[in-house]
Amino acid sequence: MKPALLSMLIFCVVSTSSYSQMDAYRAFRAQISVPPYGLSKIKALITKIKPQSDEDNSDMGISPLSEKDYDALSLREKFTYTMIHPEMYAQNCAVFVPQSDESQKIFGYLISWMNEETWSNRQLLFLAQNRDSVMAIIKESVTRSKRMGVNYKDAVVEINGWEMIPFLISYYKDNKKDKDILTTLMLLMKKGRYPDFITSKSYKNLYGVADNYESSMTFNKANEVLTLQRAQAYYDSKKRDAQKN
Amino acid sequence: MHRKIKWYFLPVLLCVVAYPQILLSQDGLWAHIPAGIYEVGEKSSIQNPLRKVSVNSFYIATHELTNGEFEKFVQSTGYITEAERYKDALVFEPGLEEFRWITDTTAYWRYPNGITRGSIKNKMNHPVTGISFNDALAYCKWAGVRLPSLEEWEIAATAGTRSKYFRKVTKRNIGRYANIWNGNSHLKPDHSDGFLYTAPVASFKPNSLGLYDVLGNVFEFCSGSLPRDNGRKVAHARGGSWWCSANACSFFNTKDIGSVNPHASFSNQGFRVVKSMF
Repeated sequence: MKPALLSMLIFCVVSTSSYSQMDAYRAFRAQISVPPYGLSKIKALITKIKPQSDEDNSDMGISPLSEKDYDALSLREKFTYTMIHPEMYAQNCAVFVPQSDESQKIFGYLISWMNEETWSNRQLLFLAQNRDSVMAIIKESVTRSKRMGVNYKDAVVEINGWEMIPFLISYYKDNKKDKDILTTLMLLMKKGRYPDFITSKSYKNLYGVADNYESSMTFNKANEVLTLQRAQAYYDSKKRDAQKN
Repeated sequence: MHRKIKWYFLPVLLCVVAYPQILLSQDGLWAHIPAGIYEVGEKSSIQNPLRKVSVNSFYIATHELTNGEFEKFVQSTGYITEAERYKDALVFEPGLEEFRWITDTTAYWRYPNGITRGSIKNKMNHPVTGISFNDALAYCKWAGVRLPSLEEWEIAATAGTRSKYFRKVTKRNIGRYANIWNGNSHLKPDHSDGFLYTAPVASFKPNSLGLYDVLGNVFEFCSGSLPRDNGRKVAHARGGSWWCSANACSFFNTKDIGSVNPHASFSNQGFRVVKSMF
């Protein structure tokens, strides 16, 4: 009886510990970067627009800044607003269900970080129209904080910021825990329809038909090296093309 | 000795797990789920782990709530939905990238994808959409019914099977059993099953309990919360929708649970109702 109890106790301790580790890694993946540019002003504006129920003072959903307030923001303040206040509802299935052993996987997509919200068309347009500035601000912010939140990675993919590949690779070499950088690199290659990537086995496994947004491949040295090499080669080819034009 | 006791109890333990039986109301609109202990969840899932739950007897609607039924509620009460009040309904049109929707200030349940994309005039037997979780609760209060809990929904949807789908359905053949998005992406319209958006309720085959459209057509709101809510007010809906495709969310199954803001109105969100007794 005693050995049985002991085994059960060990099982519980090991399970709890591995669950906590998994939970911690998921929390790490979901962390966002909070830009410092006009932060207190933006936070005050967001508090002002948060609608509350008359009946019980409960949260009444999300609201965008008025056109007037939004237009009055500087570029950097708009960046901060976009990074911390996605202003549109996301649909029910835009969630990434926690999986086991996430730290041992390279995912095909970044996880949803905005709870039940997502960027509005106005915010997407802002990112696209200020692509160069957005990349510069992200580099500046990451270099200072030594941390690249999932919102920054999402923004890089959104604006197809292939020019950031050397920066991402360099960041990854100093932050190997952050395997979502490998995901970001693959998403950039996917977005750019890089032939060597879209004809690869990894692409088929992660983005092929009948593979959904939760697909992943095993994290190992070979997959890590291959992803970094491919991303560098993709960047070199884009750079050559840009110089020719 | 220990082994003997374990084997002795196994048949008893198996008997405790109940399976729903087909028992439809006379009008065929309700399926009865007897009280019992049911198995829900799946082994590999963290959010919906395999477990046994005890539920009281309940009746669940065999079809999703229709536009016609919702109209009666609105006509009777003068209720104004959140989409009408806040002008923030989310609509879809082919050509959008994965998971992208558009805010359309003209959209609400009578025009689920906005005025330019048509009304429900000839679609009164389609599931009501363009409504929020809070709108669904308001309907339930008026009609004297309620939303199924996350567990009740799953017990009814699986109809006694352990599969992610229901009997005879697989991820490969599900297009024949449910109104889902069969295209590879949402860039081009998908009419392959005859429906771009919603289908009339009960257009596809039911599960073995006689429940139609538990997979596909519209996401169905349930009551209940999940650990990932972290204490926030979050609505959960299940079963996938006409928008869901194999290589986007793949949510057209009985195990996944979505999350959405309780105030959000989408044209792929609806509900079916439950009542505890007749």
